[in-house]
Amino acid sequence: ASTFSLLRCQKSCSLWKMEECEEEAVCVIMCASVKYNIRGPALIPRMKTKHRIYYITLFSIVLLGLIATGMFQFWPHSIESSNDWNVEKRSVRDVPVVRLPADSPIPERGDLSCRMHTCFDVYRCGFNPKNKIKVYIYALKKYVDDFGVPVSNTISREYNELLTAISDSDYYTDDINRACLFVPSIDVLNQNTLRIKETAQALAQLSRWDRGTNHLLFNMLPGGPPDYNTALDVPRDRALLAGGGFSTWTYRQGYDVSIPVYSPLSAEVDLPEKGPGPRRYFLLSSQVGLHPEYREDVEALQVKHGESVLVLDKCTNLSEGVLSVRKRCHKHQVFDYPQVLQEATFCVVLRGARLGQAVLSDVLQAGCVPVVIADSYILPFSEVLDWKRASVVVPEEKMSDVYSILQSIPQRQIEEMQRQARWFWEAYFQSIKAIALATLQIINDRIYPYAAISYEEWNDPPAVKWGSVSNPLFLPLIPPQSQGFTAIVLTYDRVESLFRVITEVSKVPSLSKLLVVWNNQNKNPPEDSLWPKIRVPLKVVRTAENKLSNRFFPYDEIETEAVLAIDDDIIMLTSDELQFGYEVWREFPDRLVGYPGRLHLWDHEMNKWKYESEWTNEVSMVLTGAAFYHKYFNYLYTYKMPGDIKNWVDAHMNCEDIAMNFLVANVTGKAVIKVTPRKKFKCPECTAIDGLSLDQTHMVERSECINKFASVFGTMPLKVVEHRADPVLYKDDFPEKLKSFPNIGSL
Amino acid sequence: MLGTWPCSSCLLAGRGLPASPAPAVGGHMQSWRRKSLWLALSASWLLLVLLGGFSLLRLALPPRPLPRAPQGWPRWLDADLLQSFSQPGELPEDAAQPPRVPHGGSCNWGSCFDTSKCRGDGLKVFVYPAAGPISETHRKILASIEGSRFHTFSPAGACLLLLLSLDAQTGECSSMPLQWNRGRNHLVLRLHPAPCPRTFQLGQAMVAEASPTVDSFRAGFDVALPFLPEAHPLRGGAPGQLRQHSPQPRIALLALEEERGGWRTAGTNSSACSWDGRCEQDPGPGQDLPVYLFRTQRWEMLPNATFCLISGHRPQAASRFLQALQAGCIPVLLSPRWELPFSEVIDWTKAAIVADERLLLQVLAALQEMSPAKVLALRQQTQFLWDAYFSSVEKVIHTTLEVIQDRIFGTSAHPSLLWNSPPGALLALSTFSTSPQDFPFYYLQQGSRPEGRFSALIWVGASDQPPLKLIQAVAGSQHCAQILVLWSNERPLPSRWTETAVPLTVIDGRRKVSDRFFPYSTIRTDAILSLDAHSSLSTSEVDFAFVVWQSFPERMVGFLTSSHFWDEAHGGWGYTAERTNEFSMVLTMAAFYHRYYHTLFTHSLPKALRTLADEAPTCVDVLMNFLVAAVTKLPPIKVPYGKQRQEAAPLVPGGPEPGPKLQAPDPNCINQIAAAFGQMPLRSSHLRLDPVLFKDPVSVQRKKYRSLEKP
Repeated sequence: ASTFSLLRCQKSCSLWKMEECEEEAVCVIMCASVKYNIRGPALIPRMKTKHRIYYITLFSIVLLGLIATGMFQFWPHSIESSNDWNVEKRSVRDVPVVRLPADSPIPERGDLSCRMHTCFDVYRCGFNPKNKIKVYIYALKKYVDDFGVPVSNTISREYNELLTAISDSDYYTDDINRACLFVPSIDVLNQNTLRIKETAQALAQLSRWDRGTNHLLFNMLPGGPPDYNTALDVPRDRALLAGGGFSTWTYRQGYDVSIPVYSPLSAEVDLPEKGPGPRRYFLLSSQVGLHPEYREDVEALQVKHGESVLVLDKCTNLSEGVLSVRKRCHKHQVFDYPQVLQEATFCVVLRGARLGQAVLSDVLQAGCVPVVIADSYILPFSEVLDWKRASVVVPEEKMSDVYSILQSIPQRQIEEMQRQARWFWEAYFQSIKAIALATLQIINDRIYPYAAISYEEWNDPPAVKWGSVSNPLFLPLIPPQSQGFTAIVLTYDRVESLFRVITEVSKVPSLSKLLVVWNNQNKNPPEDSLWPKIRVPLKVVRTAENKLSNRFFPYDEIETEAVLAIDDDIIMLTSDELQFGYEVWREFPDRLVGYPGRLHLWDHEMNKWKYESEWTNEVSMVLTGAAFYHKYFNYLYTYKMPGDIKNWVDAHMNCEDIAMNFLVANVTGKAVIKVTPRKKFKCPECTAIDGLSLDQTHMVERSECINKFASVFGTMPLKVVEHRADPVLYKDDFPEKLKSFPNIGSL
Repeated sequence: MLGTWPCSSCLLAGRGLPASPAPAVGGHMQSWRRKSLWLALSASWLLLVLLGGFSLLRLALPPRPLPRAPQGWPRWLDADLLQSFSQPGELPEDAAQPPRVPHGGSCNWGSCFDTSKCRGDGLKVFVYPAAGPISETHRKILASIEGSRFHTFSPAGACLLLLLSLDAQTGECSSMPLQWNRGRNHLVLRLHPAPCPRTFQLGQAMVAEASPTVDSFRAGFDVALPFLPEAHPLRGGAPGQLRQHSPQPRIALLALEEERGGWRTAGTNSSACSWDGRCEQDPGPGQDLPVYLFRTQRWEMLPNATFCLISGHRPQAASRFLQALQAGCIPVLLSPRWELPFSEVIDWTKAAIVADERLLLQVLAALQEMSPAKVLALRQQTQFLWDAYFSSVEKVIHTTLEVIQDRIFGTSAHPSLLWNSPPGALLALSTFSTSPQDFPFYYLQQGSRPEGRFSALIWVGASDQPPLKLIQAVAGSQHCAQILVLWSNERPLPSRWTETAVPLTVIDGRRKVSDRFFPYSTIRTDAILSLDAHSSLSTSEVDFAFVVWQSFPERMVGFLTSSHFWDEAHGGWGYTAERTNEFSMVLTMAAFYHRYYHTLFTHSLPKALRTLADEAPTCVDVLMNFLVAAVTKLPPIKVPYGKQRQEAAPLVPGGPEPGPKLQAPDPNCINQIAAAFGQMPLRSSHLRLDPVLFKDPVSVQRKKYRSLEKP
């Protein structure tokens, strides 16, 4: 009985906790012991005292042991990671100290002619999977000179954030042998806080330094007094420099990366997005410590244009405890910074001693369009970001004309720039992490250009990405007639009707191949000898499963771009009508060109979409029972159909045509073309089918499809039009025999 | 601790057991109990030893020999105490001297170009006349620039001075020109790589040359030109060779450019060496690319392939680049040492792949795995770029000037989208708008659509009566926003017009036919219905045509058509207005189109063409159709036109009712225009767009445009 209860116990245990077997086992044992404990008082007093003590000791040992083991098993992670815990949770002050002898080697200054193909060892990136570079970060050390004086501050908060961001990203590897890019933990973000020669020596002694090949240095504040170089002065040989404040003279196009100067206000101040539109001030200058010459210039602007220009400066008479960084003054008026930036349409970003200014980030955050007046400045991430969309660059000598230049910009363009400015900040400026990842992405794209991120992905704000349509067949092109089309007939077992369709379709001059998709797994297609003899190749494809989506599979056998999908019961289309349909497709190769047209309508009573097959003045869909389309849409249908639509269609055995209409309209943004007048699509032997399609339930089902697809696509992509295509001289008073397609519309 | 939860439940289960042992009775039971106790105990010990032992082992052994999570950057205990890289108080040095522009050495746009001369009219270019006798090409290029909208004859009023340095073979190397001024605001244009020794210092002049090396190229200042073959056509040029969007199945994946000329295909089953190339089984040594990876085959001409691998070392390979572009073979450039043409404005990542030659195997693998969607997009882009910027010398020169004009315009320059999607920046004028959503051909892409109204522009020619009936018919359309009458009649303006529901404006024209297509500021809608005073249309025809135009806003939608044909007998283009099964032009006496085409007509056509239209008024239709077709590369659209009027319309030459001036135009006209375009942009269409229920056997009450069917 005990074993039995133990079993039960085990069962209920496993019902409770199924994750780990050890846990379960422990649970079983504990069950057992607890049970005996409970039974114990009845059991143990009957034993001899000697035995009793013995048993109790034994039990307690076992119990303790089990509890200990259980604890051990239940918190394996905390116990194991406590190793790392001890390692990780160190203080920055406790990092190993490295002494740099005064005569240790110094790298060369940095080669201005470096390009990716000369100075970068791309072989190191050769084996990185998924077209993603691997980045290694050197361990943090503290460098001191011969006298024990530190070379620099060990690490700044931002550089620590930056390295953390890289370490948390997909780029990171801790395997130095697999790394393609090396990031030293020596902090060179601000050149002022470091000793140049010693820092260079520290770089040179890194284990994989190798003349700086594939090393990436991040620097935001380069140069120092008096002449403020625009690139980091630390000799760095071939190392890549991600620098804030490059000028055209120091920037190695395609090698260095120009990054923003991070503004700590990005994290401190939460400026909610302000809608685009006119603001209180047209132009604002908020920088403090401008060169007197520049200040004169901007103040002259204020004098000239009055109220619409605001020039701010440091506050001189702030009371104690007020953070001067967060205040700006105009005469005696005090403004909150950076909030005041949101009051202006344009904000001046003038060069200081350095070209790169943190104010650029603040300005973008406020959705104010930066007016960059800093000749030769390489704007952040200019390799990929289109700054024309978010900023105005004005040459320094044109400073007095700034106002008129800005006024010539149409209001709508200004609003777009405001939106774009804010988007740049959100995507690439707002945190150290954003800056680090954008930098790595740029380098990654250089190494794997075939997997690179496109201009639109870098530059289009999400709203634009969502609203725009990129037609996969965007090139206006009329394919040559000689190419012809491939007819694809989906059939199950209506052989007789199928053969008639084949015979009819084979009369069309531009038919180049006929493909029969045999969707019946229980029955073999008729023997070769039984098929109609036609002038073009006929190929039968057998499918593995009776699915509607087989009709839209991109078979290798399709060698033409044009595909005619036709049901095995459509025998009423004349050869002229089919040939004309093909001609129409050639003029609209990116659309569905079909014969029977259908319409979707909004049902105001039911508040949903409704399917309509009546004689209407409008069309928004064509049935793929007889339709021409580009082969590429087969690929899209099979591999890129959104959501579960494809499986849904296969499961319901219905609406594959509506799904195709949705798909094509969604990627091209264009309407279908219905060709030729309406015909009664009825075949003698398929009245049952036709009866079904008139059936009320059928209509309800089709309406459901539309509603389902619209919800999966998240929108209603179908376009309604009021036209159809006819031959130029259709029904014109003109000799019939001179018309190209006389036999159209006959029943 | 965690174990107690499941166990409380097993306790319950244990208690509830009906077969649970009764309180012990007798020694037999005791021994049984003891046995089971021992059993349980030993089992627990065993478990303890096993579990505990493992854990101890794990602790004792060196940590995790095999897979483990990468150890990231440490989380410092005192991370929050770290100092910021820049302390706010640390920046007083920002009050420094204004920058110094490095003198000598390199130039950039801000320091070496004076834009003050370029205000107002945009870019005005003066071209230095050649000193001595000049070659035919040189003369043609000069003529082409002189006919363009950029040209000016006065060097003083010019903002850019252009120095052509063209045919060095003739020994003609330009000497220092008069207005040189250290090269300021000068552009030295070298279409072919400079064999000319530099006779003077370039100074601050910009250089536009073919395939400049990356090291000497001054980004944002110089202009990189394509490497044009000697026999590149001056105008128009051959269209792209791509005949279909997607690659044909079973064509070669790769064509490799060879140093000694010719191409080599590789990748797919190229075993059939039947085409006009000869088979070479052994590629032989000395290849700079590992073609031994494939069975290869040599071709003299560029074969049909999806990708064309081009080495980036020799600038001569740049001509192969252009060849591939024209053929629609996606160029794969291996570490090019030269700047790609017009890289300042053209986004080459959309049409070519620039890869590192050292990662060749990865590149090849990536090409093989590239998604059909990407291949499709790249292929189409090659064709668009070829047609828009490279197919003729004239296009290359105009693109160069447009690039420089964009630099001058600054904020009102072409946005990147206009440069990089059809029809391209030469045909999408930034003077019209800088927002893509204003152009008819970008509506779909931008998710915008044209306004739902149109303006009717009625041209009243010399012998026309005031078109009162027509005004009534057009004003009756629910979509009509305004009517403009362009009075080009010698008679004085009538003082009274009919009362209409929409505003009517009369413009006193300059009696020139090209006035019809002037971008009047009074036109406030996107759509224009262009009409002649003697046209006759019904309201429902206008309504239907406008609804169709909204679906095709970049095309012309018209009622009456004509077509062009190649006249073998005369060896030139012919023109017919007879009713045929196809058409390539719609007559502007009754057609809808976007108002952008007025801007394009007036500002981009060479002056000579507009003069031609003024002198031969029937030509203007042809000219407008050429222009729109050159932009769209598609035929216009025809909509149904009432029968009786169609017969009455004096289109057919020698018809019963000879029209006042609508004879078929002089064939000279179409040939002159075709020569000026350098190619034949017109496309033919076989279809007419009718209302959905047009002439269908259904009650007329159901039809929306029933009056179109009245006999």
